[in-house]
Amino acid sequence: MIGFRLSAQLPPEPRRVNDTVVQRFDHVYEVDPALMREHVQQHDFPAWDTRRIVDSRWEHLAWMHAHWADSVVSGEELMSSGE
Amino acid sequence: MTATLVTDPVIDELIGICGTDNVFADRSSRVNRARVPAPFPVHRWAEHVPDVVVLPTTAEQVSEVVKLANRHRIPVVPRAGGTGLTDGAVPLRHGIVVDVKLMNRILEIDLDDRTVTVQPGINMLKLNEELQKHGVIYPDDPASYPCSLVGGRIGTSGWSLIGGRYGHTRDLVISFQIALPTGELIWVGDGGGRKVRKSSTGYQLKHLFMGHQGTLGIVTEAVLELVPRPEAEFAAFFSYPDYETAWRSTGALAKSGLATLAGVVLFDEWKLDYLRRDDEAYIPQSDDVRCVVATAMYGTTDEVRPGARRLLRIGQETGGAYLGDEISQGDWASRHDRYATPLHGRLRDGQVVPMSWHCEDASINWSKLPQMRREWHDIVARLGDRFRIFDDWGMFAYTNGAFKPWGDYLTEIDVGIWEQELDDASWDAWVTAKRDIAAVAIAHGGSISACHGACRAGEVDLVPAELGGGWDVMKKVKRVLDPLNIMNPGKYLLDQAYEGDPA
Amino acid sequence: MSSTERAQGPTGGTDDGPGTAEFVQEWRNAAYNCYSSGHKFCREVCPVMQVTRNEVHTPTAFHANVVAMEQGLLSIEDVARDYVHCTQCGACELRCPNTLYTGDFYRFRTRTVQLVKAVRALAVDQGIHQPGWQRWVEETDRQRSEPVLGEVPVSQEHVADWAAGLNLPVGGETILFCDCEGAFHRTSVPRAAAMLLKAAGVEFGLMREQWCCGGPAAEMGYTDRAREFARHNVDDWRAVGARRIIVFDPHDYITFTEDYPAWFGDDYDFEIVLFVELLAELVRDGRIQLTRPVDRTVTYHDACRLNKRKGVHAAPREILRAVPGLTFKDVDHVTQWSYCSGAGGGLPIERPDLTAEISRRRVERAADLGVDTLVSACVWSERPLTEQGGKRDDPIQVLDLLEIVALSAGLAEEPA
Ligand SMILES: Cc1cc2nc3c(=O)[nH]c(=O)nc-3n(C[C@H](O)[C@H](O)[C@H](O)COP(=O)(O)OP(=O)(O)OC[C@H]3O[C@@H](n4cnc5c(N)ncnc54)[C@H](O)[C@@H]3O)c2cc1C
Ligand code: SF4
Repeated sequence: MIGFRLSAQLPPEPRRVNDTVVQRFDHVYEVDPALMREHVQQHDFPAWDTRRIVDSRWEHLAWMHAHWADSVVSGEELMSSGE
Repeated sequence: MTATLVTDPVIDELIGICGTDNVFADRSSRVNRARVPAPFPVHRWAEHVPDVVVLPTTAEQVSEVVKLANRHRIPVVPRAGGTGLTDGAVPLRHGIVVDVKLMNRILEIDLDDRTVTVQPGINMLKLNEELQKHGVIYPDDPASYPCSLVGGRIGTSGWSLIGGRYGHTRDLVISFQIALPTGELIWVGDGGGRKVRKSSTGYQLKHLFMGHQGTLGIVTEAVLELVPRPEAEFAAFFSYPDYETAWRSTGALAKSGLATLAGVVLFDEWKLDYLRRDDEAYIPQSDDVRCVVATAMYGTTDEVRPGARRLLRIGQETGGAYLGDEISQGDWASRHDRYATPLHGRLRDGQVVPMSWHCEDASINWSKLPQMRREWHDIVARLGDRFRIFDDWGMFAYTNGAFKPWGDYLTEIDVGIWEQELDDASWDAWVTAKRDIAAVAIAHGGSISACHGACRAGEVDLVPAELGGGWDVMKKVKRVLDPLNIMNPGKYLLDQAYEGDPA
Repeated sequence: MSSTERAQGPTGGTDDGPGTAEFVQEWRNAAYNCYSSGHKFCREVCPVMQVTRNEVHTPTAFHANVVAMEQGLLSIEDVARDYVHCTQCGACELRCPNTLYTGDFYRFRTRTVQLVKAVRALAVDQGIHQPGWQRWVEETDRQRSEPVLGEVPVSQEHVADWAAGLNLPVGGETILFCDCEGAFHRTSVPRAAAMLLKAAGVEFGLMREQWCCGGPAAEMGYTDRAREFARHNVDDWRAVGARRIIVFDPHDYITFTEDYPAWFGDDYDFEIVLFVELLAELVRDGRIQLTRPVDRTVTYHDACRLNKRKGVHAAPREILRAVPGLTFKDVDHVTQWSYCSGAGGGLPIERPDLTAEISRRRVERAADLGVDTLVSACVWSERPLTEQGGKRDDPIQVLDLLEIVALSAGLAEEPA
């Protein structure tokens, strides 16, 4: 079954990307938690919420393209089709 | 000082004009109409609380409210979206806030003569959701596209991201109705016809009544331009190893003469460092990506595709490397509504703190960009040396001309300020820095503001210097049209217009 | 709507009631995070704002008030009523750039819904009650279910009347939780749910004694009461050895996946299954056969708590596309971030006029598409939507997704 389980919401341990950025999920960057200790504390962030935000972001950007124009021309395609 | 002028009988009169449901004198309504983004220092909030708020629904109500204010000599402050970045909608003398948000109706869509007539409280994104059903849009596209309103766009004479293709607010608003500071309703445009784009009759009053930050009246209705909804969009982002190359490439792209070109933006090294803090598009970029230039095109597919090929070629021939579709398309789509979020803020030890975003904008010619950029960063660096609450968020330069985007640039330096720690000393230092930033713009033959207006503390002091003899004319106009100094008093140093007046 | 009583002086003094200081301390950074942005990207997606256009009903004001309280400019008395104007749909906090662009990066996002609940709770703690909500919660306390108006009298005795004749067992590993509005008002929805589960061969039972989930009481600020209901329900689940709870109401889904974990911590080890997601799987796997054509032209109303608050929008569409005979005119789920029925967050109890207007606008948007039916997946939305749909010259019928699926699966007959 496809359900919510609290125990499954714990994010994986982060691995380091660079001095200030880490990664817990593929393609999702996060701030090094050490930088959010003194002045702003991070929220308790269940895994579903990270996924929801990341997906919503891309969906919103796709919506914006569609809001402004019927189609989006791809630079990569233009360059590979050459002249 | 004027707080006592709004007495209960005045409120009764306001209720008589706007209706019981649309007059608010409770504390929450007033405190929440005192501010706009990143405003005055938070500890001075109480100084800006208006006495009463009205939400009129018709032009006649607006007119009556302004006439009442003249009778009682009560200040009036127009408020639209409350997103303005020069504190235009912040009351300096308390008084009546005329909030136009309930005036958000579309009055007419004219597909023959290509206009849409609206009330001033409508938002552009919402308007375009309706317009796109008819194959047209109203292309005023600030980065506050989903939240600023037409009335505020006119009040500030705003700048649009895609103005290089479609023009800016002043080019897109054809005519409008405005309640003058004494309350009379008039229409202004290019000449008299409400849907006429070009006229040589009489003085060109449309420009006079735009960008005045609510000091010359309240717009109550506007006729706006319709353009065909674009068939195609193209965005290309290029990277460069150094500023000099990126700057030259920006010039070449902007001068390409491609009619579908909507804008060219140059992000400098500081901006890149800042974007690398938390932006998924920039974190993975290699270290030799030091500057980025973004371009966008809109139009018919038949124009955009060949134009895009040409644009890619110019970008590459002038030293740019195409950054790929994902960042080009993704980052561009986020420009219509994205701005600094507070957690971009960093102390010098790297700790994250919530900072508010202050952007200083100016109009600067292309040839002057490299030099003034150095001077601006130096000002902010000195500020940061003294107070840890300031953070340089980098600069961009963005094509500024309407339809011919090559001569001058909206140039912006973004500064994060940790307002929780703000005190009088750091505020004063900030105001001084703003004045210095404005002075640099003027010294390089530019203008203090390309889009927001220049009436915040600091830069406003230099408005007379920038305008020269024009400043005297501005004061005379203000005094003639607003004899009692009712409309948004205290803004733009315009109290000087009344100096020598018997009180 | 208006409030023209004059505040004392331009700034006024404020009298911090009990708990205000702790509240301000807890929300201080979150409030500054919005205050220092103040750009109001949230405004035009807010269903209440779209109607009232009154800035004190914006998330911007909801956050700024906390800063104003810290500055001594406002007190809870000044603002408590403003916070009634929220359906807790979640549009604003998702649309906020501090969530949408950077929430995942910083693991820190805008939480307007939580803030609204916290302010309402602070008001209740200080004895500031909204009369409708107070009555509602007291009634719920007495009857163990919300005082929804329906055919069936609300009481513990009648809580399972909706299942009459279905011979559903009590207890077991999998429990079907039936929301109050479904149990007492729109009983066709839980009946459809139960019949679909049976048809698919899913074993399940009902609770021994089902109480309100507690979510609404928590939404209105009565947190202690809410937790009592929650405690009872969790105990009842444990007592029958339940491990899995199936819910069809999005409000219950939120309560069980957000409030209960916050209240019970790591001990809370139930699997919470959302009916539409399960249903999409059952249809996909052929365990439910949709064979009977449904001759309707429909559009789907994205339930706010699914779409905006949980990111669930694909499953309902997948199901609708699998119904034979149906003409489905979809409006994408991002556009629907700014849609709402107005039925959530206690708004219909305190501001029925606003709920009605929000619903009217939603139904009008459906009508613009030329549909005859608006399909929802939220039983609470269906009452105001149905009312507005029925008032039109060209009436729009409102059906629950489960009702449509039950029709197509041959488990129910077309409503008259
Ligand atoms: C995230 C963000 C991005 C932004 N990006 C841009 C951008 O790209 N380009 C740009 O130009 N600006 C930008 N701005 C600034 C701001 O959005 C614009 O200045 C906008 O035009 C203000 O509109 P508003 O409706 O919010 O007006 P308000 O802030 O309410 O008012 C602005 C001024 O106009 C006056 N005014 C309001 N209504 C009326 C009326 N009916 N008649 C006469 N005067 C009136 C007010 O008194 C005030 O002086 C941005 C702001 C933010 C927060
Ligand atoms: S809630 Fe978010 S979008 Fe709304 S004003 Fe605050 S920071 Fe901006």
